[in-house]
Amino acid sequence: MHKTFTLLLLCAFFSAKLSAQSKNLTSEDSLNNNLSKSATTIGGYGNAFYQHNSSQQTSKLDLERFVLFTGHKFNDKISVFTELEVEDAKVTGGESGGEVAIEQAYLKFNLNANQYIVAGLFLPRMGILNENHLPNTFNGNERNQVETVIIPSTWRELGVGLYGNLNNLPINYYAGIVNGLSSADFQHGSGIREGRFEGRNATGNNLAITAALQYFQNNFKFQVSGYYGGTIGVSKRKADSLGLSSGIFATPVAIGEADVQYAANGFSVKALGAIVSIPNASDINRAYANNTPKTEYGAYLEIGYDLLHTVKTAHDKQLILFVRDEKLNLNATIPSNGIIDGTLNQNYVVAGLTYLPIRNVAIKADVTLIHTGAQNPDLIINPNPVAQPYEPNYNLVNLGVAFSF
Amino acid sequence: MMAGSLSSCATIPVYKTTIANNKVSVPDTLFAQSDFQIIQPKDLYYNIGLRKEKDGSYTALLLRCTHADNQLTSTGNGFKCNLHGSEFNKEGQVTQGPAEHTLKKYPTEIVSNQIIIHIN
Repeated sequence: MHKTFTLLLLCAFFSAKLSAQSKNLTSEDSLNNNLSKSATTIGGYGNAFYQHNSSQQTSKLDLERFVLFTGHKFNDKISVFTELEVEDAKVTGGESGGEVAIEQAYLKFNLNANQYIVAGLFLPRMGILNENHLPNTFNGNERNQVETVIIPSTWRELGVGLYGNLNNLPINYYAGIVNGLSSADFQHGSGIREGRFEGRNATGNNLAITAALQYFQNNFKFQVSGYYGGTIGVSKRKADSLGLSSGIFATPVAIGEADVQYAANGFSVKALGAIVSIPNASDINRAYANNTPKTEYGAYLEIGYDLLHTVKTAHDKQLILFVRDEKLNLNATIPSNGIIDGTLNQNYVVAGLTYLPIRNVAIKADVTLIHTGAQNPDLIINPNPVAQPYEPNYNLVNLGVAFSF
Repeated sequence: MMAGSLSSCATIPVYKTTIANNKVSVPDTLFAQSDFQIIQPKDLYYNIGLRKEKDGSYTALLLRCTHADNQLTSTGNGFKCNLHGSEFNKEGQVTQGPAEHTLKKYPTEIVSNQIIIHIN
């Protein structure tokens, strides 16, 4: 009995050892020994700036964003990525302002060298800024307005996304399914922005599909992207009582976007256009009285030139002179039960300098000239007797710093 | 024994192969028409960019972003990471952050008309 037990132990020991040896001999595991050691990455970004408003004659200083990125690679196949964001530096109970939010938290499953799947809270590929929003990589202290309200960056939702690139062509593709928006939370003046759930108790009765294609050709990058999703997440009974249709894609929001980027010889050009369609906006207005428009659109063109491109001795330094012209209209068309608001027809011209002593640090100075349409007096329900008259033309002066690592 | 097949394409030539003893073998005839090839070893979750230099040597770059290990896309004049926007030129040097380090370079040698990439 004792001998039999010892023999079994020896067999088990050698069997385990042989198994381990043979496992080490596979090419994949050999590779893993070299490439796939687990690793934790810490990164982040932030920006702070001074802003003077000529209309209100006010000035402010704000640590607008500080984001801490943490990623962990379990092995070459599976990783987790997270971003924790604090806006305006401080959040105090009972006071408005500031925000603490999880900007991203998703698992990434590599399928092969060209494809991967993400699952969790992630940023659908829409526009330029939503996916790549490090403050040292865009000009101007503030993010562009088109990709703030027309495409409500940083737009993250819960779901699953497939990313990949074609094997023989410089084409990237993306398709995802995420929770939908809440039309009950749309607010006049901010488009669909307040309808995002951003990972907090999102409704699952309504969903959205998103997709994008990118094409690279030397110094050019082209992209088209789209979004189509339902905005009614309440129960069918409640939707019926509000006179709203219900279902996965009921009372939809559709977004189309296209952009092109060029960078060579010190020049950089970005052009982007986006349109938002809410065909059943009248139903939303009847149920929630939030003056939802039928159509919104926005576009911008930005041209920059690195003044140090030809004289640089240290390759990293850049001094970019830029100008950006933005046009957007948050109520381009309105339903019969909507009220037009001229102030939502806006033009921003931003011009300034971005100095990068090294690539990941930026010192920025810019002026923003803002022009809007006239205020609609029908929208002023309780006029403030001491309120200053609305100014459709004013400017902002911004000075700030930004970094990422 | 290296098994390989050439997926032909005018835009980005891709060569699929396998790894044995931490080595990838690529026939040098692939570089008759182009000075750049994407090498796609089986079971490796990153491509390798293999470029023929003017002096006849070869440079092998692991197309893995040095910031957060994401796969890179070949853009024709470099490599781009969509995760945080890092960009690298053909030599593997960073041209746009947040990545701060150049791409990992594998040693290569030429043996009997085969380019050997040492994965170590």
